[in-house]
Amino acid sequence: MAKVFINKDADIKESINKENVTTHPTEIKKSIISVSPLKIYSLSWFQALSPNIQELVIDCLQSFIGEFEEIRLRINQPIIFRTGLKEMTVTSQKQLTFNLEKGYLINKEEIDRTVQLLSQNSLYAWEDEFKNGYITIPGGHRVGFVGKCVLDKGNIKTIKDISGINYRIGRQVLGCADKIIPHIINNDQIYHTLIISPPQCGKTTLLRDIVRQISDGISKIGFQGVNVGLVDERSEIAGVYQGKPQFQIGLRTDILDACPKSQGMMMLIRSMSPRVIATDEIGKKEDIDSIYNALQAGVTVITTVHGGNYEEIKGRPNLKELINWRFFDRIIVLSRRKGVGTLETVIDGKTLEGI
Amino acid sequence: MLKMFGAFCIIGGCGYIGFKIAHIYSKRVELFRFLQNGFSLLETEINYSSTPLPLALERVGMKINKDCGSLFAKAATMLHRKNGITASEAWNEGIITLSNKVPLTKEEKELLNVFGHGLGCSDKEEQLKNIALTKKQLYMVEKSVEEEQKKNQKMWQYLGICTGAVIVLILL
Repeated sequence: MAKVFINKDADIKESINKENVTTHPTEIKKSIISVSPLKIYSLSWFQALSPNIQELVIDCLQSFIGEFEEIRLRINQPIIFRTGLKEMTVTSQKQLTFNLEKGYLINKEEIDRTVQLLSQNSLYAWEDEFKNGYITIPGGHRVGFVGKCVLDKGNIKTIKDISGINYRIGRQVLGCADKIIPHIINNDQIYHTLIISPPQCGKTTLLRDIVRQISDGISKIGFQGVNVGLVDERSEIAGVYQGKPQFQIGLRTDILDACPKSQGMMMLIRSMSPRVIATDEIGKKEDIDSIYNALQAGVTVITTVHGGNYEEIKGRPNLKELINWRFFDRIIVLSRRKGVGTLETVIDGKTLEGI
Repeated sequence: MLKMFGAFCIIGGCGYIGFKIAHIYSKRVELFRFLQNGFSLLETEINYSSTPLPLALERVGMKINKDCGSLFAKAATMLHRKNGITASEAWNEGIITLSNKVPLTKEEKELLNVFGHGLGCSDKEEQLKNIALTKKQLYMVEKSVEEEQKKNQKMWQYLGICTGAVIVLILL
């Protein structure tokens, strides 16, 4: 039995490695034209689909492999695969089509089986995750759920009668922060940085690579790595699955997984003495308070926020304060104009002018 | 001389069959005792370490006696295959494997089967309730199986030898 386990682990690792080899988005097209080294059945997100769906898509999705960002299953609706801005589906004859109406309809049993598979038939083991509406699967991908919420004294106890599942396929793009790193690191000083980006523009992917580079050190510019504390409230940056980060996030990185940001930042400062703290999607009042605390402790903060542009963030209640206080040294704005992760502008947070 | 040898064989054979049948009774008592142990272990796995079901069942299967462990081990192997099988289906497979090793009555199978329905598909609290209930029922079954054992075990042992003796007498 034990042997079976080791093999399985190795399989997962292998598939992650293969997946993470994915180069810059613009280069994906090229790799498809040449012989694609990825095999769909080796991908960890594919293994997390129910066997029925696996069988349906195994042959026809190969040509888009590596591009998928989302897979959506909704009850009595066609299965949808999304790559960038394109959506496609699979007919029951195993044909790929962009006409969503022809797609294979997902029934309740399919959803139930998928949930059982994802939770390893053990809802009790993922109680907290279900409360939050998502779980992290091997490979660092996240799977979100909707359904009927069961309340207990006004708090969500769990979700039952699950009606929709969304696979968000996490992707590691090693080196995607190369362009941004010079704006963040100046000699040995690391700037407080805020990354502003609309959803699905590669915000988390970018943060992940920044963390990795700062933690590992960058020989090109002679930067020695420093200790990084990562508060990964939604298990998205490091993609921790059963204690193991599924993405490369650097050798000097300490991760607090599934921990509320404000508490996590304080815990890390006290326990692991990081030079840099990285976290995702700030915005709450408590987050802002703990950022102040981090500053007091002499820790650099690198964080992200949802938003279309700089003006929008300037108007947000809690963030306004931070920006007016000139806390951040660098504000980086991303967009999707020229593909995922386009670097729109870099603003000097002290003078509030573009660089 | 040959007659003596034949008589010996008949008595021995019948006696052996009698002992075999009698042995089933003690095996069944043992089974229900170990099953309760198994459920206690499963309870710990679920309650204390929130171990996912495939691993939890596998661990229980390895820790307890072989016959009884086959129930847990089989269910664990089925779940490890990840072919979309539900916990309840996997558990039923386990019951079938178990009943091939130790004879179970319809009611006993039903008891285990009902437990399987709730397996894995609810929160911790409900899982623990389900386990506690099943353990209680298993305890009751154990008591009645013990009664059966007391009544029947000796009888089958004697019956085997006596039947052998009667056959020998008739043939002589």
